[in-house]
Amino acid sequence: MGVITEEARRWADREYPPFEMQVTATDIARFAHATGETNPIHFDREAAVAAGYADVVAPTLFTYVVRMHASALVSPDQLEPDGSPTADVPPLPTRRAMAGETSVVLGERVVAGDVIGVTKRLASMYEKEGRSGPLVFVEMEFTFTNQRGDLVARENFTRIYR
Amino acid sequence: MSALPAVGAESPIQVRNPSALDLFMFSASSWLLHRIHYDTPFTTEHDGHPGLLIHGPLQGVYLVQTAESWLGPQARLATITYRHLAPAYLGDSLECGGTVTAADADGIDLDLWARKPDGTITTSGTARFTPA
Repeated sequence: MGVITEEARRWADREYPPFEMQVTATDIARFAHATGETNPIHFDREAAVAAGYADVVAPTLFTYVVRMHASALVSPDQLEPDGSPTADVPPLPTRRAMAGETSVVLGERVVAGDVIGVTKRLASMYEKEGRSGPLVFVEMEFTFTNQRGDLVARENFTRIYR
Repeated sequence: MSALPAVGAESPIQVRNPSALDLFMFSASSWLLHRIHYDTPFTTEHDGHPGLLIHGPLQGVYLVQTAESWLGPQARLATITYRHLAPAYLGDSLECGGTVTAADADGIDLDLWARKPDGTITTSGTARFTPA
């Protein structure tokens, strides 16, 4: 008998509403500064156009910003005391979470003015016996597309609960 | 293709020393609200960490930047997979680097890592770059 109950399985396998983010040059510049980027293609439209982009271009892993907004852009009463969204906390005997593996496949680049949609689904949920008790692996799959329907990225992210 | 580095080539090491301000900017820009990246009393007293944690996804960005600044605009990231092996705290210096492990007509594979000066790997990954 494992720790993944029917309730936990239903929780993880529920429908996740799609989310859209209108990406502005400001959003891109904020993330670029936060990660130490200095290339003007992330800040200056003319530099981006000269480099062959339609507008200011987002750093490679910008889709992280989109998926965080999708889960954390909620009213503050829907946040846990530690700041994480209540909807992301699984009904498991332990709630101590660790980041596991992240895997990203890149498609079209994101530029200012894009509307990036993200859908989320449970990819897998399983448990293993760890040294100090059961470990539960919850793997979510995020698919990012732009307003033309092009694939921007697919990300698989595993969170481990112990 | 010949312009991309060959199997065995090693990237320059990038040393990253994110400050409390850098950690806050990463949280703010991505709307990552978890307190362990900006609220020191919560992080140390409630969660028992020695200090604020350097975000795993920020370390993922560091791995990508290490490869991108080495390879330049001739190559583009196609896929990356990384995992976190040990926590990294505010004040830790992270040495980021990479090695080419395979090369073929369509691109190159890299091992990428971030490690503390004592050798502890905090984040380790593999990536594939293709010609831009």
